[in-house]
Amino acid sequence: MIKSLGMWFAILLLAIVGSFGLSNSLAQAQAPAQDAAPPKDPAVERGRKQFGQSCGFCHGVDATGARGPDLLRSPLVAHDVKGDLIGDVMRHGRPDKGMPAIPATDDQVADIAAFLHSQIAEAMNSADVPQGYPADRLLTGNAEAGKAYFNGAGGCKNCHSPTGDLAEIANKYSPIELEAHMLYPEGKFTTVVVTLPAGDKIAGPLVHIDEFSVALRDASGEYRSFARDRVKAEIQDRLAAHRNLLDKLTQSEIHNLFAYLQSLN
Amino acid sequence: MPRYSGELMIKVALLIGAFLLGPGLAAGQGLDPAALLRPATDTWPTYNGEYSGRRYSALDQINQGNIGSLTLAWIYRTRGAAIKSTPLEVNNILYFTAPDNVWAVDARFGRPIWHYERKSEGDHIGHRGLGMYKNWLYFTTPDAHLICLDAKDGKLRWDIVLADGKLGYFATMAPLVVRDHVIAGVSGDVTDLRGMLTSVDPDTGKVQWRWYTEPDPGQPGSETWPKDSDALLHGGGMTWMTGTYDPALNLLYWGTGNPNPVLVGEGRAGDNLYTCSIVALNPDTGKLAWYFQPSPHDVHDWDAVETPVLFDAEFQGKPRKLLAQASRNGFFFLLDRTNGEHLVTSAFIDQTWSSGVDSRGRPIAKPSATPSPDGALVEPGSDGATNWMAPSFDPQTNLFYVVARRVFSIFYRVAEGKAEGWGGRDRNLWANTTLRALDYKTGKVVWNHELGEEEGIAGILTTAGHLLFSADVSGNMLALDPATGKTLWHLNVGGEVVASPMTYEIDGRQYLIVPVQDVMYAFAVPGKT
Repeated sequence: MIKSLGMWFAILLLAIVGSFGLSNSLAQAQAPAQDAAPPKDPAVERGRKQFGQSCGFCHGVDATGARGPDLLRSPLVAHDVKGDLIGDVMRHGRPDKGMPAIPATDDQVADIAAFLHSQIAEAMNSADVPQGYPADRLLTGNAEAGKAYFNGAGGCKNCHSPTGDLAEIANKYSPIELEAHMLYPEGKFTTVVVTLPAGDKIAGPLVHIDEFSVALRDASGEYRSFARDRVKAEIQDRLAAHRNLLDKLTQSEIHNLFAYLQSLN
Repeated sequence: MPRYSGELMIKVALLIGAFLLGPGLAAGQGLDPAALLRPATDTWPTYNGEYSGRRYSALDQINQGNIGSLTLAWIYRTRGAAIKSTPLEVNNILYFTAPDNVWAVDARFGRPIWHYERKSEGDHIGHRGLGMYKNWLYFTTPDAHLICLDAKDGKLRWDIVLADGKLGYFATMAPLVVRDHVIAGVSGDVTDLRGMLTSVDPDTGKVQWRWYTEPDPGQPGSETWPKDSDALLHGGGMTWMTGTYDPALNLLYWGTGNPNPVLVGEGRAGDNLYTCSIVALNPDTGKLAWYFQPSPHDVHDWDAVETPVLFDAEFQGKPRKLLAQASRNGFFFLLDRTNGEHLVTSAFIDQTWSSGVDSRGRPIAKPSATPSPDGALVEPGSDGATNWMAPSFDPQTNLFYVVARRVFSIFYRVAEGKAEGWGGRDRNLWANTTLRALDYKTGKVVWNHELGEEEGIAGILTTAGHLLFSADVSGNMLALDPATGKTLWHLNVGGEVVASPMTYEIDGRQYLIVPVQDVMYAFAVPGKT
């Protein structure tokens, strides 16, 4: 019996200790949607270390150059396949350019090549802001000043409330998404009032408008469309205030406002 | 007369005829070089129709009086990628492209003649079209090759490497043929490459000259880059749109793209010549005659590759030889094309990044518009206040037309340490599009025609029939009065127009061509086919 109790206690203790680790990762899972970091290729990680040891003092630990050239811009590295060309340079060095031969096994060469190709791939994909962009890089503003802007010159309080629609807004979006939505939300929030020649009006969510036609869903949800030259169409754009602010906002007002919204969690 | 004498006479006549017409040219085939020097009516022999880039046609069979009866002559479907190219029309055949693909289609009846396909690696973002010399076509590829095809049947003549595709170079532009030079530019700002223009021999593909966007170290212009740094030779400045040419001055005018790393400027302090520049080059040697820089030290991806449109007109009471560009950064520039003298700089659409214009006519960037780790809101975004779509200059109205966008983006500088490639990105927030007519003398907006909420990318064609053709963002093809911007005709063509209209005349009938995604529409006014 005691043995069982002890075992149960051990299991419970393990569970409690284990749950601390679990709860951290759970908290992350509940946080605003972030890209899971891609699993790291062990060869790339080995290659990163090896490169740092064997090559970093001349080429920089990230291979972007120091005394020696930036290898991410090297045609030879771009044409290398699994270390065939890189290994050659390492084995012979470049005496005319002051690079000594660097002793390395075939495996080490393969890992270094994997690392360099992965760095180049990152550079090729550098036209991107990752979903998981850290909040602390965006939090350069002052939340109090942001709150004052929200309630004052920004006019945000006319449509929004920190305890109403914006309650815990920081938990609903990743920081980068929150900043984008704060400036201009996604989604269709436009309605139209169409006045027919006889004077009756039809109103509803806008489906399409251009110079020649307007289409909406009427009160019963039916699709209706009209030629623009036969009716009057009045657009009611609930995002107009956002659009107008885009013309006026200074960078510090944006950062202050973001700091304020990011504090609503 | 004996039977064989008649045959002999015919054979002799044919031999003499072939001799007179020259090698490689059978009767009625091939591009007559004189067609490149006269207004494009029965022929559209080069990307912009003519060397000036005005995209103004002297044809007036389709005009304000009959536009209401515009009808379809034929439709051709590639059943493939969207057509962004402007077709050539030579000897009653249309030649056009998409990445990896070239089509020859009967320009009168819309029937397919031949199709060339060359699969490749590299960016397949789009393709603008072909160059032509005699009976040979010139085609650039996603892996940065230049191909020569026989126009008769699409057979390959030669295939040369323009630049190393493995480094990130690719090519989309329609080569420009100037006498016996085939001139091709390259694309690629995802990685940090040296921009360049290459001229090759039309018969063999042998390189005649190369002009590099970045000068060699120590050469004029290199002082606008940091010394003792690899920034200069990896500075960007892609030449990805077709330039214009003045045969009388014998000057080639070309726009260059943005510097690299794209959003991060610290490692490349200086104006970064000749990126984001309009350069005038000698087409026989590739030597630089003059330059003007619409965006010094750009950090917003604002390529200045938009067509440098050439026209002769009065400026401040005197006749001048002019060059105008509505640039990606939202500014209209007017220059004297003989020497690059700056005449006008004026914003053609809303913009928030510039605080004014310097003494050389270059917009001054606000430091607060620089991409930053915490984001900088800027109008326009990287997609630009305008982009590669064709502008037009109409000598009947003396107005310069551009499809312009109001685009807001927030620019993030993500890179830490040495930036490679883009170093970050902007996120688009909101955009709309409008078509504007500018007074070239001042850059001021004479009329404005809204095209809808989204980023439009349709090009413009103006004609002597007092018509302007383009499209809105909802897939409506439009004919406007070029003097007032009033809509005279429209048609929902069933897709977003991502190309520029063109026109030609065959046997007295004017055809108006509008590519709409993978469908080529040929319009005409009613009459005999």
